[in-house]
Amino acid sequence: MLLHPEVLAILLVNTLFFLFALIAFVLSVRIVLFYNADESTPLQYKLQKEGYLASTIIKFIFILKIPLFLFFVFTLDSLSNLITGAMCAAGVVDATVYGNYLFVLKILNLYLFAFWLMLHYRESKREVPRYTKEKYIFFLLLFILFMIEVVVEFLMFDAIELDKMVDCCGTLYSSASASYISTLFHINTPLLLGVFYANGALLLLFYRLKNRYFFALASALFFVSALLSLIAFFGTYIYELPTHHCPFCFLQKEYYYVGYLLYALLFTSTFYGVASGFTDEKRGMKYSLFYALIYMFIVSAYVLGYYFKTGVWL
Amino acid sequence: MIELKNLSKSYTISKEQTSEALRGIDLKIEEGELVILKGASGSGKSTILSLIAALSKPTNGDVLVDGKNIAKLSDDFAALYRGKNIGFVFQKYNLLANLSVAQNITLPLIPLNPPLSELEEKLERVMQMFHIGHKKDVIVSKLSGGEQQRVAIARACINDPKIILADEPTANLDKTLSLHFIEILKELKALNKTIIVATHDPLFFGLDFVDREIEIADGELI
Repeated sequence: MLLHPEVLAILLVNTLFFLFALIAFVLSVRIVLFYNADESTPLQYKLQKEGYLASTIIKFIFILKIPLFLFFVFTLDSLSNLITGAMCAAGVVDATVYGNYLFVLKILNLYLFAFWLMLHYRESKREVPRYTKEKYIFFLLLFILFMIEVVVEFLMFDAIELDKMVDCCGTLYSSASASYISTLFHINTPLLLGVFYANGALLLLFYRLKNRYFFALASALFFVSALLSLIAFFGTYIYELPTHHCPFCFLQKEYYYVGYLLYALLFTSTFYGVASGFTDEKRGMKYSLFYALIYMFIVSAYVLGYYFKTGVWL
Repeated sequence: MIELKNLSKSYTISKEQTSEALRGIDLKIEEGELVILKGASGSGKSTILSLIAALSKPTNGDVLVDGKNIAKLSDDFAALYRGKNIGFVFQKYNLLANLSVAQNITLPLIPLNPPLSELEEKLERVMQMFHIGHKKDVIVSKLSGGEQQRVAIARACINDPKIILADEPTANLDKTLSLHFIEILKELKALNKTIIVATHDPLFFGLDFVDREIEIADGELI
């Protein structure tokens, strides 16, 4: 086990969250099994109160998981100084078989927690809640995923070997890499950029048409195209290096931590966009479009800025 | 209009001990009725009022107001229900001591954010109704007990609620002021408000304009 102070802090805090989530889990099981909105028995009033407690716990876990996730990424990046061969968080993620799964799981869980809270918020706006049981069944599934996340996190930090040589991001994210990532760099760049900007235009179009279903779909596609184009194209302008495609290095100080801003904009935009497909809340589309446009503006500014500065395209 | 069905309320004193404030109450109160709820201290009168006002939730049973079970409302909707339907006069008035008469009376309107003209119109109406207009800008801590109570009643009425609940409204008043409160009740009754007064003050017993007197002891109707 890597007994680094930041690692210990992450494990400790996540374990605490897990213990609180366990309380919410037990309460949720009771609600799923026994809740009946038509009855006015002592049990039903008790379950109603327990529902408040469970939802409050879930809300706080989500709110605290966001900075914890950022701290997790920051820690991976700082651990790269200790691991032979690693230059940034990419090397640490790739140092064990668990790293990539954990990363995806953490992002997925954040999204699912956010969706749960969105459903909860929608329900709390109804005078007579309709989906109480369904909401807590969703949390039971979410709890299982969260439990897996905590276990995988322990396994990952346990499996890291400081003296084992790992690949740096330059090797991992190159067209010569043996991994599936290398296929990304064989995609035609104008095509990738065309899809990315067309996707942005679609967001604008569906926002104007107020079609929330198509907007949600376009938002999900925007996430994929934005991520791929960031790694394959825009990242090179941030690094000012045509061969460097790492999705982690721009989280570092040398690049003014711009990666945090870009990912935050992208994740927030996608959340609001996809969520707008499930609710008739008008604000979701507006927020999603707003964050997506800022994201597009920043990544485009890197490209244009580089061109105006040097007179060449990478 | 108000229907209590098999209503019970227990308070937890410790892990092993609970106190049963209400035990299986069944009660119907029609629109425009004035009901005196009488009983000794601790008999459960205030608990009934707080349940009708959705200030607390029962342990068992239903509180139906216009057919809607308000006991099941979430906190947000309970607040909305109170704001629209309930005027509550508390035993100790529960006024904010450092605010003026006008500020205290208009407090229930603030969450609704009405236009200033509407707010002032409502304020003038209730201040006139309860003869407190001349004290509009006075800080309530400077008022006498009777005046404070009139402010509390004006505050309870500013939303023009259908239901007025008064919990021991004359507990801190002398006989003259208590009789004045009874006159106010009469005026409210004439406005077709549904009024429930929880009291053990004998001045309220046997009044000709009261529709019903209901006695409660040990959490049960007698």
